[in-house]
Amino acid sequence: MTEAATTLELKDLTRVFEIKTGAFRHADLKAVDEVNLSIAPGRTLAVVGESGSGKTTLARLILRLLEPTGGKVFLENTDITDMDGTELERMRGRMQIVFQDPYDSLSPWQTVGRTVAEPLVLHQDLSIEEATEPVARMLERVGLSPEHARRYPHELSGGQAQRVGIARAMITNPALVVLDEPTSSLDMSVQSQILLLLQSLQEERNISYLFISHDLTVVRYIAHDLAVMYLGKVVESGPAAEVFAAPRHPYTEALLKAAPRPDPSYKTDHVYLVGEQPSALDRAPGCPLYGRCPIAEEVCADTPQHLVEIGPRHRVACWKRT
Amino acid sequence: MRALLELTGLEVEIEGLPILRGVDLEVRPGEILGVVGETGAGKSMTARSILDLLPTAATVSFDRCTFDGEDFIPVRARQQARGHRIGFVPQRPRGSLNPVFRVGKQLVDTLRRLRGMTRREAKGEALNLLRSVHITDPERVYRSYPHELSGGMCQRVCIAIALAGEPELIIADEPTTGLDVTIQAEILRLLRDVISEHNAAGMLITHDLGVVADVCDRVAVMYAGRVVNLGATEEIYRGALHPYANRLVSIATSLDTGGTPREIPGRVPNPGDDLAACAFAPRCSRADTDCFDQEPPLVDAAGQLAFCHHPIHPAKVAR
Repeated sequence: MTEAATTLELKDLTRVFEIKTGAFRHADLKAVDEVNLSIAPGRTLAVVGESGSGKTTLARLILRLLEPTGGKVFLENTDITDMDGTELERMRGRMQIVFQDPYDSLSPWQTVGRTVAEPLVLHQDLSIEEATEPVARMLERVGLSPEHARRYPHELSGGQAQRVGIARAMITNPALVVLDEPTSSLDMSVQSQILLLLQSLQEERNISYLFISHDLTVVRYIAHDLAVMYLGKVVESGPAAEVFAAPRHPYTEALLKAAPRPDPSYKTDHVYLVGEQPSALDRAPGCPLYGRCPIAEEVCADTPQHLVEIGPRHRVACWKRT
Repeated sequence: MRALLELTGLEVEIEGLPILRGVDLEVRPGEILGVVGETGAGKSMTARSILDLLPTAATVSFDRCTFDGEDFIPVRARQQARGHRIGFVPQRPRGSLNPVFRVGKQLVDTLRRLRGMTRREAKGEALNLLRSVHITDPERVYRSYPHELSGGMCQRVCIAIALAGEPELIIADEPTTGLDVTIQAEILRLLRDVISEHNAAGMLITHDLGVVADVCDRVAVMYAGRVVNLGATEEIYRGALHPYANRLVSIATSLDTGGTPREIPGRVPNPGDDLAACAFAPRCSRADTDCFDQEPPLVDAAGQLAFCHHPIHPAKVAR
């Protein structure tokens, strides 16, 4: 098998929801609007943005838990946008997800062993007995012991439950794992344990991560690449270190300035954007940030700017900064 | 300087389980004290003991508790202070507003109860309060129901309600958890501003060391029902005496600066677990038999207080 150049590639991925606004009226809500992104093997792409920016919808589209209304998803250079049936079931073994709340995402009625074995049964046609051995090995790998297989989720701490979630996601040896806020419900000391585990699994297996988070401290640590979303649009993307050091889009700038850092000599700054994030329904036809942006001009109101390359792999969608 | 709020030996037990095991802390006039710790450390319970908002099954005892020099141990003293002398900003703003009444009515009722105003006076003051929390269209918010407002706006309303009794101390329990980053920055700034404008002091409960660094003058770090380390924010972040506080800060700092965080092995104990004399001893790389058998002494060094047999003195830390 030849090494794939990209694990995941998104081409103009779009999802429009039809929202009822009156008795006979509908409006289109563009939750994800022509998103183009890619992740190379062994790399972590973090998608950041505030609630309503479309991060979670994007993850669900990639995993085919939600159907796109436009665009394509390629997993290891295979178009999976229209795949279904057995073909899709097989492909699902190559892409997995770890959820935010470890307790909510584990079945309370199933033992840990059963939960971790399930993807093998579903996607690789193993029997429960055949799965016992790999499950025990996987549990040890994520820092649990094989005897945890007989426990139920309520007997686990938050950190242990998240380790189970990670074991379930990793057991089919996926190429891509979507991490949807995997550490935000955990305590600080446990958070770092989980981040280190995710990192070592990535190095060992060359997995690609799509890391969804609003916690910029965690993102700063784990991400190789960064994409910033606002109202369904990617407004800036590029190598994480570069975007953190020199953000170009006014929204990225505002987001980074507002994020507190564990350093008493650093003070956040919020007096930058005007007002609060509007509903995606009320978005200006041009730049999604128009109306809140301190540097906007007339052109920004009605002409959308596409992502423009301003440095190696660093792209920004802004009339004023490109 | 005399402390505004001082408490020592605060213990809380619920159904026989020790939740707080002797909390000592003080809030000084004009400062914002951050109370940090992980889940179950007792941060919220400490705040709720001060406000007498504990579940009925809880038993509370203090060695000493004073507010502005007055004895604060009697339950009545604490109940009378709630709303009047101590304002409370909750964690879930929308959940703590009444969903069936307009914001204006909730503010007016609070003002009439706390300050004995007439309906007309209360309405004027309510609008003033909404303006003071930087709401640009107070008339609209006054007429709104909580569900018509964003999370950030609901939290502003809660801060306005907390200010209604003209309190000397504002206790905020995770006031920005669940809010977006840009809104969080605004709410924290607002809290800091209203506390200084009203010549009040603040106690901010949070698990986020970034938030503490941004707004708090001093920090109390809690572990397993006790304050283990207390000091000026700069001192604690420069080099905390207590190994737990030290590790916690260094994890946050290394995540922030791209270094590899050193793990704290093990996990936080649950209430009712058998604890060593120092509850952190089983997870601590500096622990010896003293830590398991003997109560840790109070160490006063480098502008900090810590309960520890083997504190990390900043002078000895290789830089």
